[in-house]
Amino acid sequence: MPDPVTPTRSLRLGVAGPVGTGKSSLIATVCRALAGELRLGVITNDIYTDEDARFLRSAGVLDPERIRAVETGACPHTAIRDDVTANLAAVEQLEADFDPLDVVLVESGGDNLTATFSPALVDAQLFVLDVAGGGDVARKGGPGIGRADLLVVNKIDLAPYVGVDVEQMVADALEAREGRPVLALSRSDEASVQELRAWVLSMLAAHRGGTHEPQDPGPMAPHFHADGEEHTHDHDHGHPHEHSHA
Amino acid sequence: MLLADSRLPAGAHVSSNALEAALRDGLRRDEVGAYLASRQVTVTRVEAGTAVLARHLALTCAPEELAPALAALEAEWAARTPGRAQREITRVLGDGLRRLADVLWPGAIPPVAAGAPPRPRPVVLGLVAAAAGLPAPELVRLVAYDDAQTVVAALLKLEPGDPRAGAALVLEACAAMEPLVGPLAALQDPVLLPSAGAPQTEDWAEAQSALPRRLFRA
Repeated sequence: MPDPVTPTRSLRLGVAGPVGTGKSSLIATVCRALAGELRLGVITNDIYTDEDARFLRSAGVLDPERIRAVETGACPHTAIRDDVTANLAAVEQLEADFDPLDVVLVESGGDNLTATFSPALVDAQLFVLDVAGGGDVARKGGPGIGRADLLVVNKIDLAPYVGVDVEQMVADALEAREGRPVLALSRSDEASVQELRAWVLSMLAAHRGGTHEPQDPGPMAPHFHADGEEHTHDHDHGHPHEHSHA
Repeated sequence: MLLADSRLPAGAHVSSNALEAALRDGLRRDEVGAYLASRQVTVTRVEAGTAVLARHLALTCAPEELAPALAALEAEWAARTPGRAQREITRVLGDGLRRLADVLWPGAIPPVAAGAPPRPRPVVLGLVAAAAGLPAPELVRLVAYDDAQTVVAALLKLEPGDPRAGAALVLEACAAMEPLVGPLAALQDPVLLPSAGAPQTEDWAEAQSALPRRLFRA
């Protein structure tokens, strides 16, 4: 439907990752860190009804009206990649209802290591792992781990309890990602939350400056050569490739 | 063939055509064939007729007459689709198909008036058929196939069984529609759209829209 006024196009930021790695919690953290300075919206994807949307609404980090749930018909993977219709409609409706929005966060339904967002739906994506899922997961690679715009290793405060060496896990991830950014995060570690905040702001600046080009981490093999990709995607975009854990 | 593919990116994978609610209400697995057949001669018949009429209007109306003619057709469709939930999901799915059509067949779907709800799926499908050169009988068979395949694809997730048995169910359901293909394909006047109601089916669609912990939205 053509609107008389086209709403401002927000930065659409996808949050993917396996079940239980802390995607909803990460979104709540982003909202808490940025709701004061940015106009945010959230779309959640659930397999069953709207559990994640309700969690986020109850977290009180954002006006509940700005958090909407999309049902994915038992196919969380399909809804963010192969057929993004419902999600795209929800994002555009949210942008129209709360125009102007700066950032819309789209949370995927928890799926497996292969689920990533289509560039038709989001401009940039984070992939979330957690230390409790095992220190070796980052080594396994896959499209999300290898090529998402940011890989988050979450719940680092739990590392001592689950016997995971965070530095090693981050080093593995950096290697699997051939230098793309990795952020070791704990919502109770303010410094790491600030790094996440800075990354979102830098991505927003790149989006507005037209220097960020949405990446499709999907169909390619998890192993590739950095210069080999440059002819298909201009990855040399403006946002800084900061590595918080060298 | 493209339009009949369930992998078509038009947002339709969120629907089970109320099968989920029907199963929860006690429909047995061995009754799914009967459910499909009853859909074909009732709600699917209305949907197929609506699609045929939208196609006909797109091919015969002067450009300035098309929008009001489609509005009149929508009113006929809505009158034969009494369930609120059924009308709502049909419009949601119609908007998904419209999004796809805007890319593949630009200009085929006239925009709705500001503030009006999205066009229902059979209307969008009929407009696409006109733009893509799909003959009316094929359009009827497409609607029949799509309805049955939607239910069976959902069945494999809700009550997993032999997928080959599911394919057999789709074939049987399409056969149930076959005698109606001729009369439906010949429709030219929206007033003559069949009024083949199915209160149980509409009730399940309504129940589905409020089903707790559901896999499917519809």
